[in-house]
Amino acid sequence: MTKIEEVKAKLEAGKAKLVPGLVQEALDEGNAVGDILQAMTDSMGVVGDKFSAGEIFVPEMLMAAKAMSKGVEVIKPLLTSTSTSSLGTCVIGTVQGDLHDIGKNLVTMMLESAGFNMIDLGVDVSTEKFIKAIKENENVTLVACSGLLTTTMSAMKETVQALKSSGLTGFKVIVGGAPVTQAMADEIGADGFAPDAGSATVKAKELVKA
Amino acid sequence: MLTKRQNLMETIKGGNPDRFVNQYEFMELIMEAPMDLPLAPGPGMTVKNKWGITFSWPEGQIGSFPVHDDEHKVVKDITKWKDVVKAPSVYYTDEEWAAAVAHANSVDRTDKFVTAFCAPGIFEMTHHLMGVEDALMNLYEEPEAMKELIDYVVEYELAYAQQVIEHLHPDALFHHDDWGSQISTLISPAMFEEFFLPAYKKVYGFWKENGVQLIVHHSDSYAATFVPFMIEMGIDIWQGAMTTNNIPELIKKYGGKISFMGDIDSGVVDHPTWSREEIAKYVAIACQRCGKLYFIPNLSQGLNISSFPGVYETTSEEIDRMS
Repeated sequence: MTKIEEVKAKLEAGKAKLVPGLVQEALDEGNAVGDILQAMTDSMGVVGDKFSAGEIFVPEMLMAAKAMSKGVEVIKPLLTSTSTSSLGTCVIGTVQGDLHDIGKNLVTMMLESAGFNMIDLGVDVSTEKFIKAIKENENVTLVACSGLLTTTMSAMKETVQALKSSGLTGFKVIVGGAPVTQAMADEIGADGFAPDAGSATVKAKELVKA
Repeated sequence: MLTKRQNLMETIKGGNPDRFVNQYEFMELIMEAPMDLPLAPGPGMTVKNKWGITFSWPEGQIGSFPVHDDEHKVVKDITKWKDVVKAPSVYYTDEEWAAAVAHANSVDRTDKFVTAFCAPGIFEMTHHLMGVEDALMNLYEEPEAMKELIDYVVEYELAYAQQVIEHLHPDALFHHDDWGSQISTLISPAMFEEFFLPAYKKVYGFWKENGVQLIVHHSDSYAATFVPFMIEMGIDIWQGAMTTNNIPELIKKYGGKISFMGDIDSGVVDHPTWSREEIAKYVAIACQRCGKLYFIPNLSQGLNISSFPGVYETTSEEIDRMS
């Protein structure tokens, strides 16, 4: 097993204490920073797929994201614009009237691992706050709206419609959360929907590359 | 006509119920029992409970939430939980018990089960204390400390159970602990078996050893993969079983060992624009596909209420109509 393969295996296993050392060893062996980052990104894709398939659960996903974060810390000083392939900035938040955050946090971790620069607005986010964040941040390619309560689906609709009619361009809107369905996403005018954090990454990449 | 209690027993024993058990009708919940207030009581209110956990119920929301920013988290470092987690006393005065005792004494126990209420559960307590992400990661990173904390919560639950049993002599226990989301459990079956099954075997075993005939557990979520553990820990009825669990299939597989109460998702029918027609539709679907044995049609909500006035009562009427 090569050192990069070891990094991948330990990251997928959520070994947050081991991954930084292995990343350093991979660097010491002369592996390119970009290759190491790509390997870790790929591993998080595997983790997301396993989560979507019900093979792993929230703790495993959290541990993998932590391992990724610790691994990235090691290579961060060496990262250059040529060694990273940013997917742009994603503004994310749980819509107004809803305080649930774990789904939104999982999506944040997964999208960050995939190469998005994340702006997390937290929970109970008003339409105005979403729009302000799009204006204040560079290269916003994606806006992600989360909601768990059936009672806040109207807030999600209002948010999506306000984003679409704001005159701002250059970004796609993805929605998710327990009561959200593809049909509802279509009805309220969102560009994409994902049923869980794993498939959110796949969908998000698809949307910004389209 | 069978009493509510008899009809429930016929239903869960696979006998001859003469109608559908209608939601919570068989339980007389003794909510006056003194207990640590686990949640904020109403919109616009914030409370710190006796465990030190802050709950906030923001205006316009339908429930209260534990607050887990750095300022409010009780457990910031799980390895130091003993320094910060102090269980409240389970001892209350006779005066504090009086209303609950009077309520329990007023119940015709041939008709209904005098039911003790416990919330939050053991899993929920871990994440109320430190936030759900910390709680879940600590199961991996500091498993021994988590097991110690779980044991501590179990000891508290047992001590409280002793007091409730002495004062109320309940026939049933209604115990909350949400273990999943709508589509999955939060942790794997293996992790649940390691951390929470032993805890619940102790707690539910104690209630049953002390005269409680019926354990009703609330988890309004997917938890089909935990059903074998539910049976092992002594749960008689899983309340809050959502449609995502494929309840007809669970009844076929586990009927006789456990019963399922739910199959009408609150989120689908309990909303600001609810209607009798919509409720009737989902009640009919649940009753027709699940049948009368090992099944109790019920909103997934964890109490005999609804978020929007009229939904619970209309659901009951429609269940009666199905009977």
